[in-house]
Amino acid sequence: MEQQFVSLLKENQNLIHKVCRLYTCTEDTHKDLFQEITIQLWKAYPKFRGEAKFSTWAYRVALNTAITLYRKDVKQVKTTEYEKCSFFISQEEYNPEEEEQLKLMYKAIHQLNDIEKALVFMYLEDKDYTEIAETLGISEVNARVKMNRIKGKLKKILNP
Amino acid sequence: MKELDLLKKDWQKTQSQFKEVSENEIYSMIHKKSSSVVKWILIVSIIEFVVLNGIGLFLSDDFTKKFTELHPYLNIFEKVNYLIVLGFIYLFYRNYKSISVVDSSKRLIEAILNTRKIVNIYIIWNIAIGSFFGVFGAIDGFTAAYSKNNSLKAHIEPVTMAISVAVSLLIIIPIIWVFYKLVYGWLLRNLSKNYEELKKINLEN
Repeated sequence: MEQQFVSLLKENQNLIHKVCRLYTCTEDTHKDLFQEITIQLWKAYPKFRGEAKFSTWAYRVALNTAITLYRKDVKQVKTTEYEKCSFFISQEEYNPEEEEQLKLMYKAIHQLNDIEKALVFMYLEDKDYTEIAETLGISEVNARVKMNRIKGKLKKILNP
Repeated sequence: MKELDLLKKDWQKTQSQFKEVSENEIYSMIHKKSSSVVKWILIVSIIEFVVLNGIGLFLSDDFTKKFTELHPYLNIFEKVNYLIVLGFIYLFYRNYKSISVVDSSKRLIEAILNTRKIVNIYIIWNIAIGSFFGVFGAIDGFTAAYSKNNSLKAHIEPVTMAISVAVSLLIIIPIIWVFYKLVYGWLLRNLSKNYEELKKINLEN
């Protein structure tokens, strides 16, 4: 069982990395959160019966950890610290305008609160609202409403 | 929102840019808690050794001088005890080393049980040693006290002495026991919790 868990986790580690990327700023905190999520997944693993896909289940645990557990331990990033965040964008060739937009977007997303980040995360992962709602334990309508509000908030951050 | 769509596209392209975590790293992550408890057992045992013996050095007053003069063999015994305690510390160190590299929960369970066993033996050893020195201390103390109060009767009835020593032991042993339970009990409890969790995981295997 342990071996199974470790190899499943290894296969799906990108998912955790991505959660860490959204919720942390530095390499150290990224590693910390990664470890915390791994521990929580391992603790919850006996309850994972394989009804859902491992990744769907892992999304839920990872986001919950990032939202609840992690917040207790680590001071939330202050607004001024966003400047220090290292945002990396993919190595695609973008035109300068697009690149600037991307940088601003990454920065804007880091300013959202933890729950909003979770929604954006699922959105970026290209999940539909049914799955977003299920993972976050809210209704589908609520997920849609929240997502629209977040879009509004992001627009405001981008064009103050 | 076109910025968000652009971000989504970019987000999905950054998949391969994370530093890959190996299986070994994952193993050590899920075992980290136990190894940190075992690390603390090691640290606490070293602190205890240094502090208790440090106090002993500062307290070498007349009574202890007389005590060692009266019982020179106890001095040797004390040195032997140092070696034994150092031996325990070495065992704790080895436990810590072995628990940091275990790669399966079965072996981790074994390591936890082993640590618990050694800590319990260590506590029993300390109680035994404490009582042993306590007996000599009590005999000396009572002899001195009796002869002061009753100068004519320097010799004490063996029964009286036996009862006095037994009563002092009844006081000494619980004190030592409580001390070690407080110091190590908390650490062992954390370790046991981990052990229960691991056992659950292994049972469902």
